[in-house]
Amino acid sequence: MTRYQMPVGPLHVALEEPMYFKLDLEGETIKGLHISAGHVHRGMEYLVMKRNFYQNITLTERICSLCSNSHPTTFCMALEEIGGIAVPPRGHYLRVIADEIKRVASNLFNVGIMAHIIGFTSLFMHVLETREIVQDIKETLYGNRMDLGANCIGGVKYNLNAESIAYLIKRLNEIAPAVEEIHRIYSTHSSILTRTRGVGVLPNAIALEYGLIGPVARASGVEYDVRAKTPYAIYPELDFATMTRPDGDVWSRAMVRLDEVKVAIDLIRQCLAQLPEGPVAVPGLPTIPAGEAVAKTEAPRGELIYYLRTNGSDMPERLKWRVPSYPNWDALPVMMQDNTVADVALIVNSIDPCISCTER
Amino acid sequence: MIELIRQVEDLFNQHLTPGYTFDTRINKWNVATAWVRLSSSEQLLPAATSIKQVGGRLHTISAYQRVEGKPSEIHEIAYHFDLDGATLTITVLLADGQRDIPSLTPVFHNADWNEREFMELYDINAVGHPNPTRLFIDENIDAAVLQKFIPFSDMVNAASTKSLWEKIMQQRGEKQ
Amino acid sequence: MNFLKVLFRNLRQGPSTDPFPFGETFTPEALRGRIAFDASRCSVCRMCEHVCAGGAIRFEETPQGVEFILWHNTCTFCGLCEHYCVPKAIHLTNDWHLAHKQEDKYRMIEEGTMYFKSCVACSSAFLPPSDALLDKVYPTPAAIDPAMSELCPDCRRARAAAQQTTPGMAQIHEPGLTLRPLRLNHNEKRHD
Repeated sequence: MTRYQMPVGPLHVALEEPMYFKLDLEGETIKGLHISAGHVHRGMEYLVMKRNFYQNITLTERICSLCSNSHPTTFCMALEEIGGIAVPPRGHYLRVIADEIKRVASNLFNVGIMAHIIGFTSLFMHVLETREIVQDIKETLYGNRMDLGANCIGGVKYNLNAESIAYLIKRLNEIAPAVEEIHRIYSTHSSILTRTRGVGVLPNAIALEYGLIGPVARASGVEYDVRAKTPYAIYPELDFATMTRPDGDVWSRAMVRLDEVKVAIDLIRQCLAQLPEGPVAVPGLPTIPAGEAVAKTEAPRGELIYYLRTNGSDMPERLKWRVPSYPNWDALPVMMQDNTVADVALIVNSIDPCISCTER
Repeated sequence: MIELIRQVEDLFNQHLTPGYTFDTRINKWNVATAWVRLSSSEQLLPAATSIKQVGGRLHTISAYQRVEGKPSEIHEIAYHFDLDGATLTITVLLADGQRDIPSLTPVFHNADWNEREFMELYDINAVGHPNPTRLFIDENIDAAVLQKFIPFSDMVNAASTKSLWEKIMQQRGEKQ
Repeated sequence: MNFLKVLFRNLRQGPSTDPFPFGETFTPEALRGRIAFDASRCSVCRMCEHVCAGGAIRFEETPQGVEFILWHNTCTFCGLCEHYCVPKAIHLTNDWHLAHKQEDKYRMIEEGTMYFKSCVACSSAFLPPSDALLDKVYPTPAAIDPAMSELCPDCRRARAAAQQTTPGMAQIHEPGLTLRPLRLNHNEKRHD
């Protein structure tokens, strides 16, 4: 058996974003992994310090397009905590609806790409066709398929009237049975099971030791969901369970994501049923005094934490965010150990990496 | 949540030399955040070990310089930990000119990437780090990237330039 | 599970891609597209310029008035300018036909001019508040002081001060101004 190194990336047909991996191989088995990051580093931590809070709402949204609503939501939450601003209840509900719609779209995208990577192209097309319904929802309610532009300091800047709620419910009724069917396919189809069961295993102990979060950790049995542990917005008033799976392989991660799509659709329905009347945002312009705050939300990929320091002016003194994909990269060497080269793209996709989030 | 914070506070009282502050805030969702300021970087490892003892997890590390925008020799590093939902932030103030801080990697494995990041952004050295290589920024660029004036961005305040607008104004008359 | 069933169903339903431009597709009303600016509603508060992350909005002062220029190619279509505009002078339409040739890129602008008015008392140039702003801020048309559109801020200040300090003076006569008794608004909010 020969030992040699093989580069994967930074531009690779199976990777969505550029990341440079150097694999240590023995024959076809992976024995080690080196990650060389930095291809999408845009220096956003510098840019946010040069812009005022309003401009930063737009700038933080553009850190990532799949988690794009979680970033301004968490940023506004940190600002609201420093400024002592209370978002009205309807504003909270609308924020949750926006977040859950994004979660459905993001998770369906990831499981679809997984099908694409294992070569099951017709299933990939089918899942993305279902996801197109969610993209239409986003375009109709918010005006853009990805960057919702939903948040402002003190609430949201969009509203739902009877017509848009009726539209949303109609389309949710189309998505829900389709997601049920997709869930069944992924649970039972032999092509998927053979390719993904037992691949890229992450033991529970390592998930805890390395501080992983999100669907990756939940697929290894770590029961940590920010919406339950550190509630925010109106999650305390909603009824949902944290989805976990015990095995920690690629299949478990995809199943956790599909389980969460079902939970998200249910949460949106609950929100629409309980949606209160009232203003959607605090009127006027906010005053943000000097201070510091930490805000956490559950982005589609896991726990997103923002740390904000203000000094009384309308530009942040320091804004730091740690995205859920950041700690997950470190677990890749463990997951890839003793798997074959053919599974590299599959395992990388299973952690649902967002390189533009990680490198900012 | 608040239970764990109390336990950590007790452990700090036992193991840390006095001279630190410990504040706790609870927001309207009953989520607790604790804010600790250490007086010296030697207290960092004992504090981290106490947190690990109660099952805490490192979220992230935010380093920053005290005087924004200009090269400064005074830095603060904020370590954010998760205590089963509650966030504990420990801020260590580095003395003027001090650039060394003990690495947390022996206690928390995921401090690895975080420390490599602040090493390249602010030129602070995490002593004892197992792999002190660059994370996102190329080796050919000098360290302390956020402190150096990157001429173009600073000149235009990281936004659209004056010469760009001159072109736009010039062509306004030719608009169909 | 047999995926063939799903496959055949999809084949029967046909492609789900809209055959645009050879067929119909839909444009949602809420789409954030090209910016439309109504100069008659703008009062030059410049909040849109302040919140624009892309630096796409620029106000230029000329002898005739203030010009608003927005360049679409650095606009991120986020909608914050529309959200923070009180008189709703700036609006994101759902026009997405923004493709243009490279040579035209500097011409993708939206512009408007807010003209100065001449103060009837001292003839200096000033920007009057727009009708849209006055309608938004004041509850009824009768509550709007016509002096706001005719006198520059300095002259209005002088007039208000004179009315307060001159005992028994109910109104001030000025050429060309429709008179109404002035109310002192004790509940007026302090400006930050």
